[in-house]
Amino acid sequence: MNGHRQFVLRTVEERGVKFIRLWFIDVLGLLKSISIPVSELDSALEEGVGLDGSSLEGASRLREHDVIAHPDPRTFQVLPWRPDSLVARMFCDVRQPDGEPFGGDSRAALRRVLDHASGLGYTMQVGCEVEFFIFGPLGKNGSKPQTLDDGAYFDLTPLDVGSDFRRRTIEYLEQMGIPVKASHHEVAPSQHEIQLAHTDALSMADAVSTFRIAVKEAAHELSAYATFMPKPLEDHPGSGMHLHISLFEGDRNAFHDTEPDVPLSPLGRSFLAGVLAHACELSAVTNQWINSYRRLATGFEAPANVSWTRRGASALVRVPSRRPGRADGTRFELRSPDPACNPYLVLALILASGLRGIERGYELQAESVDDAAEGRRLPLDLREATDLFEASELVRETLGDRLVDAYVANKRRETEDERRTVTEFDRSRYLRLL
Amino acid sequence: MSDAWIYGDRGSDTSARLLAELGFSPHRVAANGTLRPPEGESKSPALALILASGLEHPSCAELCARLAADEDLGEVPVLVALGSGALADGLGVAEGHELLVEPFTAEELQARIARARRAVNGIDHDDMVRVGSLEMNLATYQVAIDGRPVDFTYMEYELLKFLVTHPRRVFSREALLNRVWGYDYYGGARTVDVHVRRVRAKLGSEHAARIKTVRSVGYRWEGT
Repeated sequence: MNGHRQFVLRTVEERGVKFIRLWFIDVLGLLKSISIPVSELDSALEEGVGLDGSSLEGASRLREHDVIAHPDPRTFQVLPWRPDSLVARMFCDVRQPDGEPFGGDSRAALRRVLDHASGLGYTMQVGCEVEFFIFGPLGKNGSKPQTLDDGAYFDLTPLDVGSDFRRRTIEYLEQMGIPVKASHHEVAPSQHEIQLAHTDALSMADAVSTFRIAVKEAAHELSAYATFMPKPLEDHPGSGMHLHISLFEGDRNAFHDTEPDVPLSPLGRSFLAGVLAHACELSAVTNQWINSYRRLATGFEAPANVSWTRRGASALVRVPSRRPGRADGTRFELRSPDPACNPYLVLALILASGLRGIERGYELQAESVDDAAEGRRLPLDLREATDLFEASELVRETLGDRLVDAYVANKRRETEDERRTVTEFDRSRYLRLL
Repeated sequence: MSDAWIYGDRGSDTSARLLAELGFSPHRVAANGTLRPPEGESKSPALALILASGLEHPSCAELCARLAADEDLGEVPVLVALGSGALADGLGVAEGHELLVEPFTAEELQARIARARRAVNGIDHDDMVRVGSLEMNLATYQVAIDGRPVDFTYMEYELLKFLVTHPRRVFSREALLNRVWGYDYYGGARTVDVHVRRVRAKLGSEHAARIKTVRSVGYRWEGT
């Protein structure tokens, strides 16, 4: 670890970095930050920085609790935006004063599952396609956002005024060590997709967190507003975050089967069976907001049932056809998550479900042949999803009570708030009729 | 402090003293044919100095060949110091990466070391590695392209440094994991590919292609 610290201290000095942002993740996956001046860096690396642990518990705080944020020097990175005053960031692991991981830290929960997998000889690789919208400057709270273009799927300029924005975003991401595979205009106006190249799960979760802020910064510089809200426009598709999952044993893709027509190895089938078996319990994290279920409700290729397929476009899981000679590329694509999720919890639970499938030898259900609604139905709303999440033994075992309780408290509060709200829908449907 | 290993069994401590003056930590290697000093902690030193005039078995040429063939010592810059009359008989003149004739001063030794390091791994006397418009400062961990700083994470920097200072050799993913990472990581062997991709992205088009993918073997740096 000494080399890392030396690197951080020297780089700060050489580059004239003024402030360091210590990033940590709350239970909802939102990025939190404390800024420290360079003079405090040495002691922050040595002893960590104290904070109130309830700041990790989202909008519904359980109790005050002193914790220590320990910056991870491996994640030190100068931020590419606002180059006039250099600022760098490090992700933090949050621990109790006695050094034990803090039960409310999503990053620690993911690390725990990764350690378990690594003890079994497995590493999970994750690729990611993130969709999002950029709108004109936001009006008053609740007003309809202004789309910036009428571009459509894979459209190119001049319709697509977002391409400047995408170029800038991609530059930022690459400068931060987040390689981009591709980017294009999505189906809806003002909607974009950026594909992040595969990496290990912790790096990907960090990358998604970094990605969201980089995109917002790039939009802000163009006087626009980027949102990862799953379903901002009623008549257009929402934003998903498809995850491409594979499992490696050393150098070898453990999902790959040498038989040409077999989409997944027996181990891959058990892993996928685990993910499908627990998919409904995981809905509350893959789709964590009330708004997430509006994306799932309206089709536009968003999944509604627990199913898998090689060809269809709207199943929960798609197993892409293999290209000859590309064993490394064998994977499945989980299509339910949206970009407003907590990526640490999502990846921790996907891996835990898959490992359980392997450990208990789950049988994979039959492939769904066309886009027919086969398989169990996914939860219809956040309330149903939260009930299943709260009752799940796998979830509790993987994340621990503190995270689960904090998460559930947040979600209960969200559904209660909504239940009390008189909406546009109420007024337009009932005011005249009743 | 960087280690310098001294081969040759003459009593004189002059060369050890000069190396210490230059900031190296000198270690004498016994003349019985071993390649490593008894107390050697590091796997490989920053340089090797062979005092050729005192060597008979093994000969200077044999010693150089064995160093070059050693897994950990193959890329160590080797300086050969000849006795004042030895140039005439030619023994050892063609060995090592750089030649010295005794007696020599600290200034000359410093200059010769810099030349040897430059010859072996492209590192200049000021700890700079330059490849076209790419500059790496190994003392300060800073990388610049066309004079503009490029910000790497620590592991990206270490990977780039390793490749740049071991040019033209192919390293397998496994070898890179052992020599660059060498500790716990979550990515398995794929970590290397992921980092190579990140480093390439940050290097930009002019330099990205210098990291060659050697299919089903590993990676190689081309350029120095």
